[in-house]
Amino acid sequence: MTDTTLKLPKARSETGEILHHLLRDPLGLAGLVIVTLIVASALFAPWIAPYDPVAMNIPDRLQGPNLAHLMGTDQIGRDTFSRVIWGGRVALQVALPTIGGAMAIGLLLGMIAGYGPKWLDSLIVLFFDTVRAFPTVMFALAVVALVGPSLNTVIVVIMLTSIPTYGRVVRTLTQSLKEAEFITAERSLGAKTPRIMAIHILPNVLGPLAVLAAMDIPTVVGLEAGLSFLGMGVKPPTPSWGSLLNDGYALIRNTPWLIIAGGIPLILTTLGFTFLGEALRDVVDPKLRGRGGK
Amino acid sequence: MADILEIRDLSVGYSTPRGSLKALRNVSMAIPDRRIVGIVGESGCGKSTLISAIIRLMAPNARVGSGAIRFKGEDLLARSEAEMRALRGTAISMVFQDPMQTHNPVLTVGRQMVDIQYRDKLSKAAKLKRAAEMLALVGIPDPEARLNQYPFEFSGGMRQRIAIAMALMAKPSLLIADEPTTALDATLEVQIIKRLKELQDEIGCSILFISHHLGVIAELCDEVVVMYAGEVVEQGSVRDVFHAPAHPYTRALLDCDPGHIKVKTRNLPTIPGNIPDLVDLPKGCIFAERCTKRHEACTARPAMWNAGAGHQAACHLLAVEETA
Repeated sequence: MTDTTLKLPKARSETGEILHHLLRDPLGLAGLVIVTLIVASALFAPWIAPYDPVAMNIPDRLQGPNLAHLMGTDQIGRDTFSRVIWGGRVALQVALPTIGGAMAIGLLLGMIAGYGPKWLDSLIVLFFDTVRAFPTVMFALAVVALVGPSLNTVIVVIMLTSIPTYGRVVRTLTQSLKEAEFITAERSLGAKTPRIMAIHILPNVLGPLAVLAAMDIPTVVGLEAGLSFLGMGVKPPTPSWGSLLNDGYALIRNTPWLIIAGGIPLILTTLGFTFLGEALRDVVDPKLRGRGGK
Repeated sequence: MADILEIRDLSVGYSTPRGSLKALRNVSMAIPDRRIVGIVGESGCGKSTLISAIIRLMAPNARVGSGAIRFKGEDLLARSEAEMRALRGTAISMVFQDPMQTHNPVLTVGRQMVDIQYRDKLSKAAKLKRAAEMLALVGIPDPEARLNQYPFEFSGGMRQRIAIAMALMAKPSLLIADEPTTALDATLEVQIIKRLKELQDEIGCSILFISHHLGVIAELCDEVVVMYAGEVVEQGSVRDVFHAPAHPYTRALLDCDPGHIKVKTRNLPTIPGNIPDLVDLPKGCIFAERCTKRHEACTARPAMWNAGAGHQAACHLLAVEETA
């Protein structure tokens, strides 16, 4: 107790500090472990998956879980476990660029709207509201009908419709920060607008935004699964959690295992990222850090 | 002695749905080199508008009607925004009222103190060293270690010291302090005031000190300006104004100061009435409605009369004395 309080956390960087506190939160730890597992299995899919996810093996079709096939096989004998692992790749391939892109654009537009002149603010908010007015799935279906199903279409559509989520939060935060006394204090010490935005507003916005992003990943993964379920995402042989669900849905009378195998990773992703997001929320604010712990 | 800042006939208004709110009317004052000038007045008398006009960080609906603000002989109102920015933090700095709000909550104090030195071409280590020196100067023990801490790890008094250190970092020639001790408790107030006076001496700057605490003004300042409802009603040396107040408002203000009350009482004295409506101003003397010495002449606007050497007040009573 005494020596931990005496130790000054001098050498630790900001990221190290966040990680340190995250690991002390059981929920955060659980989230981190699940997320790491999902990301690692997606990254190392070729080494982890025991079979080729698209290789057919008709004699072994529609098996339940057994030692040879951990999660059984589908109607043409493909190994479900391998498809789940490879499906994670597709899920993250969609989620990461989507969230990354939406966050970056939302951050930029939100900060401009929140700090800039009134007319620009109105213009950007109008854009947000217009985009938000389209239901994501309907919009995606329309675009897919127009240009044909592909993973890139899904990415672009979800990204575009997610921009307002981030943009609005950033705009509101920027607006309240703009009025904060420490911003006036910085201005009274001669700081320029770009400087205030980059050094004082950005770090204050980034924390809540990271939390939002972590919580948003399951939504995007779910959207991709939904679109693939509807046959609008990845093309057939490519494994995706959504297409697994689709196969399972069609074969529900023959075997429950396909739908379970498609559903579990979705549930795990949701739980993992939500835990992580909630733990992050407490940790990114330096003031809330070390509550309870230490 | 040259004046570092000279305000001539400054009028500032705010456009509101009801019309123009005349927050400052024909304000003139001067801050001599290496002097501390205090501004007193109750809430809404235009203190904050005056500072925001000097540093040119005014609310979007503020309009400067007339007048000039000369800093070292040059009119600040004629400067471009970029030229103004070059002055802020180097020649003119500011300390704010609430130390709990003046620092970025998510950056360490060291990071913020290094950041405001962005104009200097120094290594980061040199900037950190300078930041630590400034912290030591304002009386923060173990400054090197404390640079790594976040604002919330400091008490209010400490944070105000840090704010002062940041404001004085570039050795400005004018420091504007907007009620810097109002949010602190009495013992801290005394410490901060003392330190401020020492620092002013050391750096050789002038200070414009805003407060509604008369005791603090008397302790710290060389000269005092009394403002009421957007006008200067009296100004002079601290000794003249506090010992021989010439304006009835100043006298009433002094009578209300708990430090001046000798007799034990349950009810502290107040000045009856309210500040007049600044959108629809009364015709004559601005204080007439609340004044105990009101007479016929008060329906006309009083001029600034001399009450002594370097001591003026805007009251008709002085005209009577002078002509009598």
